[in-house]
Parts: sequence; structure tokens; C-alpha cells
Amino acid sequence: MQKNKSNTPLTPAVLHILLALSTRERHGYGIMKEVESDSQGKVKMGPGTLYGSIGRMIEAGLIRESDKRVDPEMDDERRVYYKLTGLGQSTLAAELERYREVVAVAKKKQLAPSSFAYGI
Amino acid sequence: MASEPFLRRYRNWYAKLLRLYPKAHRERFGEGMEQTFNDLCRERVKAERGLFSFALWMFFETSTGIMRENMTSIIMQKSIIRVALGTGLILLIPLFGNLFVDGWDWPLPAFVLAGTLLFGTGLTYELVARKMNNKAYRFAVGLALATAFILTWMNLAVGGILGDHPANLMYPGVLLVGFIGTIIARLKPQGMSRALFAMAFAMALVPVMALIVGAPAFANGVAAVFGLHGFFAMLWVGSALLFRRASANRL
Repeated sequence: MQKNKSNTPLTPAVLHILLALSTRERHGYGIMKEVESDSQGKVKMGPGTLYGSIGRMIEAGLIRESDKRVDPEMDDERRVYYKLTGLGQSTLAAELERYREVVAVAKKKQLAPSSFAYGI
Repeated sequence: MASEPFLRRYRNWYAKLLRLYPKAHRERFGEGMEQTFNDLCRERVKAERGLFSFALWMFFETSTGIMRENMTSIIMQKSIIRVALGTGLILLIPLFGNLFVDGWDWPLPAFVLAGTLLFGTGLTYELVARKMNNKAYRFAVGLALATAFILTWMNLAVGGILGDHPANLMYPGVLLVGFIGTIIARLKPQGMSRALFAMAFAMALVPVMALIVGAPAFANGVAAVFGLHGFFAMLWVGSALLFRRASANRL
């Protein structure tokens, strides 16, 4: 992946993983559940997408692995946790700023999701 | 629980499916993926929802991931093979020179040095530039590396640019400026631009310092030495400007 492919928008999977890790460290299943909750069930990631993205994000320096430990809310298996790096935080902030700017433009044009009337 | 045998079977199949990942990915994430799959299955059973369609989706989704990771792995291997082939082809030139051109006689260490420098430069380009879609960024990386390659080659193979004098040690210093700058910039175009400007400035300082310490190269004319260093500095300025352009292209 980008290291950091900072001149292009983040993929939805990467953005959602960054968002999920913005509040605290999480393991794979925890990230998946948080993404599902953040997107109100609209984004569902399988392990293939999740761990593929995690691998590329580690390579890009956006997140890093923490020590393995047991999740007290789950079973007694030790799990790898992931957390944001400084670069991950700044990349997320830059992406959110980009979204904010896009929304501001849309507002300026008085566009709302229901206001599109292309082809009419 | 009635679903327990199915659960066990799906887990076994999933563990087998994960073996199709490239080794590096499997070793790093295999355990986590299995755990996540198990967690999702447990959640499904707890909610008293069917496992079959869920398992089918999981297997399909993970198979897609397996294909993607294997493609990435193949592309990376291809990059190494491409660089190695390119290095070999370029080395054919001096090899044919040795065989067919009178007075051309490269010793084995020269081949080893050229091969190492070419392969190292090519691989660095592949590793750095392939991470960016931006053309300006790729050109900038290529120009910076090519300039560093020529400078290193001139010093190591052709002989010190400043003659037989310790002042030649300033050149590795110039490259070190770029290396440290690259680490600080973490390959971001804006930081890389600054690093390349710093390299250009350091390069421009070299003849001034060499003149002060009295390097023998100036016996052939001060202008020629300054011109050569100015040329190298300009190439790095060009690279810095390309990085700046890449930075300006950010969305």
C-alpha cells in the first residue's frame, strides 16, 4: 500500500479501520465489530479484507501491532491488538479534513442526498 | 450443542484454506484470522443463526483475499526478477567490451561493484516508487537515485572526483544527508523535496570545502570542478522540484 499514498484518498476499508482504532487498541474481531457499529451495519468486512488491509497498513506505518493479550470480555485466548501510529493519526485527521471540505462544498451548493436530479 | 460438529468442521476447513496464503502473510496473520473466524462463528451460533451461508461467505471472502495476496507476492517477486534481469543486461555491455574491444578490461571486482550498485538502485526504485501512483513522484525518485548512482560510480570505479584526497569522503556525506532526510520525511513528497534540496546544497558546498582544503582536482581548472558539482546539484534540485510537484498534486 501507499507509504503513505498521501496524495490519494484512503480506501473505505483503511478509513474504517483507522476510525475503529482511533479511540483505543483493538484485536481483529474487535475492529470488525467496531467497523460494523460505526457504519450502522453498512460495512461488513471479512477476515480476508481485514487482515489484508491490516498488513498493508502496518507496512505503510499507519498502525502497529501491540503485545498479545487476553480480551477479558471474550475467551482466554491471547490475541494480537492493533493501534494507530502517529502517522496513522495524522493520515486519519487529513482524510477527515478532506471529507469536511467536500461536505462544505456540497453545503455551499445546497446539495443534499435527496436533491440530486440528474437526467431529469 | 447441535451446531458444534459443523462448527468444528468449518474451523478445520478454514484453517486449511488459510494455508493457501503466501507464507509471510500466513505466518503473520494466520492465527489472528483463525481466531476472528472462530469469534464470528461463535457470535453466529449464539444468535442462533445458520452457519452454512455465513461460512460460505467467509470462505469466498477469504479466497478473494488469498488471490489478492498471492498476486501481490508474485508482483513483488517479478520486481526483483525484473531488476536482476535489467542488471544482467546492462552488465552485458562491459562483458562484450572485455571480449571484443581492445584496451577494455574490466576486472571481476568492477563487475561485482557495478552489479551491486545497479541492482541496489533498481530495487530501491521498485520498492519506493511502486508505492506511489504519482508520475512526478516516480520521476523524482528515479532522478535522485540515478544521480546518486552516477556519483557513487564515479567515485568508486572511476576514481575520486577530487583526485587522490580524503576530501572525497564528503560524497558519502552528501548521500548520508539524503538518507537521513528520507528517513525523517518517511517518503512523503514534501519532506523528500526538502531532503533533496539539502542534498543539492551539500553537493554545492563540496567544491568550496575542497578548494579550502586544497584538493588536487583543481589543478585541471576550478571552473570544471565547480561545473561538475553544479551539474549534480542541479539534478537533485530537479528531483526536489518534482517531489514538490508531487506534493502539490495531493488531493
